[in-house]
Amino acid sequence: MGRDLALLIPEIAVLLTAVGALIAEMLRRPRAALAVAVIGLLVATGLTLRLVGGTETTVFGGSFRIDGLSVWAKLVLLPATALSILLARVDVAGTAREGTVYSLLCFATLGALALAGAGDIMFLVLGTLLTGLATFALVAYPDTDPATEAAMKFFVFASVTTAIMIFGLTYWFGAAGSTLLADLPGMDTMPMAIILGFAAVIVGLGYKASLVPFHFWAPDAYEGAPLSIAAYLSVVPKVGALFALAQVVRDMPPESGWTAVIAGLAVLSMTYGYLAALVQENVIRLLAYSSIAQSGYFLLGIVAVGSSELALPSIILFAAAYAAMNLGAFAVAAATGRTLNDFGGLGRARPLMGIAMVVFLLSLVGIPPLAGFVGKFLLFAAAIDVQFTWLAVVAIVNSVLSLAVYLRIIVPMYRRGEAATSAAGAWPGIVVVITLSATLIIGLFAEFLLGQPMV
Amino acid sequence: MLPLVSLTLFLPLAGGLLILCLPKPAARTVHGIAIASAALTLVGALAMWLQGVSGGGFSLVEELEWMPTIGAAYRVGIDGISLPLVLLSAVLFLVSFIYASSLRDRPRAYVALALLLETTAIGTFTALDGILFYVFFEVSLVSMYFMIAGWGHEDRQRAALMFFIYTFLGSLPLLLAILGLYLGSPEPSFDMRVWIANPPLEGTAAMWALIAMLVTFAVKIPAVPLHTWLPAAHVQAPTVGSVILAGIMLKFGTYGLVRFALQMTPEAFRDAGIVVLVFGVVSALYGAFAALAQTDLKRLVAYTSVNHMGYVIVAVAAAALTIDPSVRAIALDGAVLQMFSHGLVTGALFLLVGMIQDRAHTREMGEFGGLLKTVPLLGWSFVLSAFASLGLPGLAHFPAEFQIFLATLGTVPAAVVVILGIAIIAGTFLKALRETFLGEPRERWHAMPDLSVRELLAVAPLLVLAVATGVVPSWVLAIIHRTTSALVL
Repeated sequence: MGRDLALLIPEIAVLLTAVGALIAEMLRRPRAALAVAVIGLLVATGLTLRLVGGTETTVFGGSFRIDGLSVWAKLVLLPATALSILLARVDVAGTAREGTVYSLLCFATLGALALAGAGDIMFLVLGTLLTGLATFALVAYPDTDPATEAAMKFFVFASVTTAIMIFGLTYWFGAAGSTLLADLPGMDTMPMAIILGFAAVIVGLGYKASLVPFHFWAPDAYEGAPLSIAAYLSVVPKVGALFALAQVVRDMPPESGWTAVIAGLAVLSMTYGYLAALVQENVIRLLAYSSIAQSGYFLLGIVAVGSSELALPSIILFAAAYAAMNLGAFAVAAATGRTLNDFGGLGRARPLMGIAMVVFLLSLVGIPPLAGFVGKFLLFAAAIDVQFTWLAVVAIVNSVLSLAVYLRIIVPMYRRGEAATSAAGAWPGIVVVITLSATLIIGLFAEFLLGQPMV
Repeated sequence: MLPLVSLTLFLPLAGGLLILCLPKPAARTVHGIAIASAALTLVGALAMWLQGVSGGGFSLVEELEWMPTIGAAYRVGIDGISLPLVLLSAVLFLVSFIYASSLRDRPRAYVALALLLETTAIGTFTALDGILFYVFFEVSLVSMYFMIAGWGHEDRQRAALMFFIYTFLGSLPLLLAILGLYLGSPEPSFDMRVWIANPPLEGTAAMWALIAMLVTFAVKIPAVPLHTWLPAAHVQAPTVGSVILAGIMLKFGTYGLVRFALQMTPEAFRDAGIVVLVFGVVSALYGAFAALAQTDLKRLVAYTSVNHMGYVIVAVAAAALTIDPSVRAIALDGAVLQMFSHGLVTGALFLLVGMIQDRAHTREMGEFGGLLKTVPLLGWSFVLSAFASLGLPGLAHFPAEFQIFLATLGTVPAAVVVILGIAIIAGTFLKALRETFLGEPRERWHAMPDLSVRELLAVAPLLVLAVATGVVPSWVLAIIHRTTSALVL
């Protein structure tokens, strides 16, 4: 037990941070809550570093995994949460229950971490519910009509899909007599149970990762929520759910045909995401659809899990790249505005902000030498390595489509005109600088991540 | 020993960063730094030239660990195929910066983009690592996109968008081919030298990789029917953009055709050689006929590029088809020399057309007449460049095209019909010269000034080199031939 707890110190640190932020809020010290949350998350990140390079192991009788996925999920998602909190400061400063937002963000991240290391179906449920409950409240926080409506849609959608997942998972429990994912291969005598359970997991995690066709909530929720919460939703719960999916398919028996399902979802998500993004006028909705498509790219790596050595490194690297570039794009939006018109002339009026946005968007397309390129490159390699060349081709065609999508933001940025500036203060700028550095560094020096033994 | 290749490669980028770091620099400072960096880059290229290349393999190779886990490294080096293109890039960028030194509309961003473009151009030609090559290949698109979109003519946004999406779509199949070569290698590595020494793919896989590469390079070259982006991009691009686009970026395609398609999937290329040859012939003839039909000088020059690059495709296909190493050497000598000559001559033509447009604000041939009398320096420069472009003996294109036809005759005699292209291009230029420069001078152009010192400095080096290459081609061929004669496929 002592060993288990030692391995879970980062998670415990996140929990304490969330509680600490909440206590600070109860003492009516919102700024203290902010400081506790950000510092706590960074400390938790630091505490994770000593796990890097360790051996793969599990805790709590195999139900939670300490492996490359769960360790890197912490290293990516904890800083991403800290950056989201900095962005959230702009949205919620001075409101009635400011500190609860920071606390809820930490709780939601804890749920995402539970998902990323899930070795047991109960962790899948726990993680989904924990992130879900915290994020419903976050979306509804502004207490305006659009926010309430968005939260309501989000809540109904999430409840139904999670219920389906729990129902389907009972088949796995019934067939295997165990809740451990590691016991999945043992139930090859009952193929129907495997398929039903897997379908249910796809529904539950698919909603969380906003994969097509479980994505309907995402654009509405992003649009209604405060911008920082949209940024958070597009990164942290999504990456947690995708890592959980990777954990599940690691133990799926190959003959169940799960690769075809994942490949099909990848095609749907990428293609539908970008096609829908092409017709958006609202930058937040555009980024929402783009994040749906980006989830599809993750699936190229998940298809290869278990058969290619490139699979896990590609997923992890792309997660880091995606977190940096997507948070960066949202941060620029926070400093600029929500519609395409607001971006008119941005590049001329504020050159540095303009260059940063161009870098983020081109990185999302996957243009070298930026982070998104290295991530996608490895994802393509992983898919081709397991004979899914056609999927890589589809992904590449979608990359072209994505260029058209992101150029819709870039082109007006260099038109003559007055760019909108929101009175956002300095925080978005700081987030932009950090994410911009990360996007460039991950692109040029990916070896820092790739060279780690546990990747 | 100095890392000569890397220094030359990153000098322009360093100049660009310096310009971006200066607080509110004057336009003169910006242009001065640009010209200085480009001149130093040319010095670097000349130093490489003086060192020469060894027979087989690559020279001046520099290697640095980058992503050892997946076998990618920073590897650069030169051989007889890439060195002339490096020199060409250095020369063309230098004259472009001289020409552009009068620009006053946001010079800082413009020059920084152009310097970034110079680094990516030299990087594309010197990269010896699959990923590194792709990085340079793609980044060049981004800077060219912003150059067209930011400083082009009336309909620039649409042209820039079309250029970016078209060529981005075109370059992605190459990514697949690179991944295929990587995964097919016995020891996964992105080292292009390994791929060349032991082509990792065979059979159907090699054929698919070849098809992917051909699509990429055909868009870039551009070969008919994938050429439609070219006239649109050229017409809207600023003059320097056109010079770089036609003079250097089209060579990415032909260079890739040799370096990747021919050297890394030689068996498949041999099997598909006839098809490639046919595309080359069609391109050359189509480009010539399309040029004949133009009334806009810039579009005309753009289409002659399609024709000239068609010859290069024919030459590379002939090199793949022949079994005689000496014929292959002749074909590749011709191909590489053709790329070099085309860069010089088309660069000069686009500069001159740009100068005409600066003065007259139109490029329609019908609007002019008798310009030779009004602006003799400009006129005679154009005449010389036009004659070089149509392949007159003693000028740059002649030795290249002669070798190409010689090798083609020895391999696929029927393909020599492509020689018709020369006659059509000759007709095209003679028509253009008659309408624009001969005849009675028109009243409205009487006040047109002749070349300024700045313009002369930009054009003269290209013309001198074009004559030198025509009269004594051996100064370039010696370098090219050392590699092509040692090439083992």
